[in-house]
Amino acid sequence: MRIGIPHMGNLYIPVKALFERLNIDYVIPPVNSQRTLSLGVKHSPEGLCIPFKLTLGNLIEAAELGADTLLMAGGYGICRLGYYAKIQEQIIRDLGYNCEMVQLGVSEQKLFGLLKVIKRLSNYAPWSRIISAFRFGLAKLNALDKIERVVQKVRPIERIKGKANWLFAKAIKAIDKADDYATLKRVQTDYIDQLNQVTKDNQAQPLIVGITGEFYVVLEPFSNLDVESELGKLGVEVRRMTFISEWTKFSLFLNPLGMNEKDRIHKAALPYLKRDIGGDGWESVGEKVLHAKEYDGLVHLAPFTCMPEITAQNIMPSTKENIPVLTILCDEQIAKAGVLTRLEAFVDLLECRRRKCNNK
Amino acid sequence: MEAYLGIDVGSVTTKLAVLDEYDKLITNLYLLTEGKPIEMVQQGLTQIKQQLPEDVNICGVATTGSARYLAGVIVGADLVKNEITSHAVATLQYLPEVQTIIEIGGQDSKIIIVRDGVVTDFGMNTVCAAGTGSFLDHQALRLNVSIEEFSRRALASDTPVRIAGRCTVFAESDMIHKQQMGHRTEDILYGLCQALVRNYFNNVGLGKDIKPPVVFQGGVAFNQAIVKALQEELNAEVIVPPHHEIMGAIGAALLVHEEILNSDNGSKFKGFGVSEIKYYTSSFECEACPNLCEIAQLSLNGRVLARWGGRCDRWERGSSS
Repeated sequence: MRIGIPHMGNLYIPVKALFERLNIDYVIPPVNSQRTLSLGVKHSPEGLCIPFKLTLGNLIEAAELGADTLLMAGGYGICRLGYYAKIQEQIIRDLGYNCEMVQLGVSEQKLFGLLKVIKRLSNYAPWSRIISAFRFGLAKLNALDKIERVVQKVRPIERIKGKANWLFAKAIKAIDKADDYATLKRVQTDYIDQLNQVTKDNQAQPLIVGITGEFYVVLEPFSNLDVESELGKLGVEVRRMTFISEWTKFSLFLNPLGMNEKDRIHKAALPYLKRDIGGDGWESVGEKVLHAKEYDGLVHLAPFTCMPEITAQNIMPSTKENIPVLTILCDEQIAKAGVLTRLEAFVDLLECRRRKCNNK
Repeated sequence: MEAYLGIDVGSVTTKLAVLDEYDKLITNLYLLTEGKPIEMVQQGLTQIKQQLPEDVNICGVATTGSARYLAGVIVGADLVKNEITSHAVATLQYLPEVQTIIEIGGQDSKIIIVRDGVVTDFGMNTVCAAGTGSFLDHQALRLNVSIEEFSRRALASDTPVRIAGRCTVFAESDMIHKQQMGHRTEDILYGLCQALVRNYFNNVGLGKDIKPPVVFQGGVAFNQAIVKALQEELNAEVIVPPHHEIMGAIGAALLVHEEILNSDNGSKFKGFGVSEIKYYTSSFECEACPNLCEIAQLSLNGRVLARWGGRCDRWERGSSS
C-alpha cells in the first residue's frame, strides 16, 4: 500500500513526519504547479471550485508516482467539498489508475476518527506508536505556523524585500528534515532569531489587513497567487485567523470537549447572518465584524462558484462595522497582473483612509 | 518652467499629459498603442517634446496603466501607480465633490466610489470585454460605421432595439438577427449602447453604492450616445470632464508632483533622449520549478534592466537598477 496525499500549504511536512515514524509507504506529489492545475482543470467538471481542481491534480500526480491509496478530506457538514473525495475517486479510476480513496471525515469524526484511519493505514501499529508519531507531526505543524506568524510581521517592514520569504523557505526545509524534538526546537528558535534580526524599518506603522475566506484558498498560496506575500511587499502587515495548527487544535482536541473557537466569530456575525451556510461563509462575515476596529481592511478570498463565500460577499457590505473589503475570486482564470492592480489600489485606498482618520 | 509628466500606457491607447507647477495642463497626447508599448512611449516622448515650450523642465515622471512597469523602466519614472488610484486623483482635482467615477477604456472598465474626497470602494471588470470600448469598436466596424459616425447615428434612434449584452459573442449574433429582421442601423446602434451600459452595471457596478455627482471618463466617453444611455440608466446627470480620455495620465502627473515635493531627491527621468535608444525585449522559460514561468526581460546594450512574469521573486528586479 502506497499512500498519496493532496497539498494544502505546508501540510505535507507534518503528514510526511507521521508516515515516516509509522513506516507507512507514501508519495508526496510535487508541490502545486501549472501542471497540477492543468491536469486538475482538464479532468474536472468546469463549474467546480479551485480546491477541487488543484487537489485532483495533486492526486493524479500522486497516482502517476505509484500511489495506490489516496487520502482526501470529506464528510458532511462542510460544503460541496464533502463529496469531492467520491467524485475524485471516480475520475481517477476512469483515468485508469486503480486507486482506493480513503476519506477523512474530520469534521464529524474528530480526533478518534482520524486516529482510526491512521491505525488502518499503518497496518494496525500499536496505539502507543501512533500517538507518538501523531504528536511529532503536530509539533512540526506548530513550528511551521509559529515561524509563519513571525514572517507575517517581518515582511512589511524589512529593509531588503524578500529576505523574510527567503528565510521562511529555508526554515520549511529545515523543519522538514528535522527528525527529533530537539532538532525541531533548535530549528524553530534559530529561524525565529534570524527573522527577528532582519534589518527593519522600526518607525514604520504598517497597514493591517486581515485575510479571511474559504479555508483552502486562504491556506494554499498557489491558489491565491501569493496574496499574503504580495501584500507584504506593498508594506502591509497581514493577519489571519486560519492556521492549520489552530484548526487542528480545536477541531481535534477542544471541540469534542465542547470548546469552540468559532463561537465568538459566529456571535459577531449574528446580526447579519443567523446560521451556518456551509463552508466558511459564516466565519467570513463574523471576522469582518469582529476585527473592524483593529484592521484597516480585509481581503476576502473566495473560490469562484463557492456558494457560501458568495453569500458572505454580498452580506459584508451591509454590516455596520465598516472597513473596506476586497473580494478576490480564485480560479484557474485568475491573472497576476489583475490581482496586483487591485491590491495596489486597495492599499492606496486604505492609506488614504488612515490619513484621513488621523487628521480628524 | 517646472513641469510634471504623466504617462498612461493602456491596452489600446497611450496617453501623455504634462502639467505645470500649478497643476494646470500644458499639453497632452493621445496615441494608439497598437500592441507596441515601448515604441509608443518613445514616439510619445518625441512628439510631446515638440509640443512643449522651450523653457519646460520636467521635474518628475510617473507611469500608470497596464504597461506601467515597462514604461516606468523606459522613461525612468519617479512613481509607478496603478490606474485606479490615478484616475481617482485626477477626477478629484477636477470635481472634489464627486461620489462616483465611471471609467470605460479599451479593454477594461472600472467603477470608483468616492465619499468625502476619499476612495471607499472600487470595481474592475475581470475577463469579459462586453462592457468595454473594444466591443463597440468591433461592432461599429462590422456595421461599417466609423466610430465617429457611431455616436451621431445612435443618437438619431427613436425606437432602440433590445440587444443581449451579457456576452460579446451573444450580442453579435443578436445584432445580426436584429439586422436581418430589418431594424434600422440607428436603432441597433443605440440598442448596443444600452446593452453595454446595462452590462456595465450588472457586472462592474454590481453591489456598488452609486450616488451623484457621477463623472464619466475614458476613451468611450467620446461617445455621446453612451453618455445618454448612462444618464437614462442612472436617472441622473453624468458629467464628462474636458480631458476625460487622458485622466489617468493627469492623475499620474498630479501624484508625481506631490511625491517630488515630499522628497529630497531629484527626478530619475532619463530625458527625452530615451526615444532614440533601442531597447531589446525577450523572454525565456524559467526551469527552476515545475511552474515553468514565462519570464519577460527588457535589456539595453546587453544589460538586463528589468524582468517580469515569475510567480516567485527569483527573477524580479527593481525598476531602479
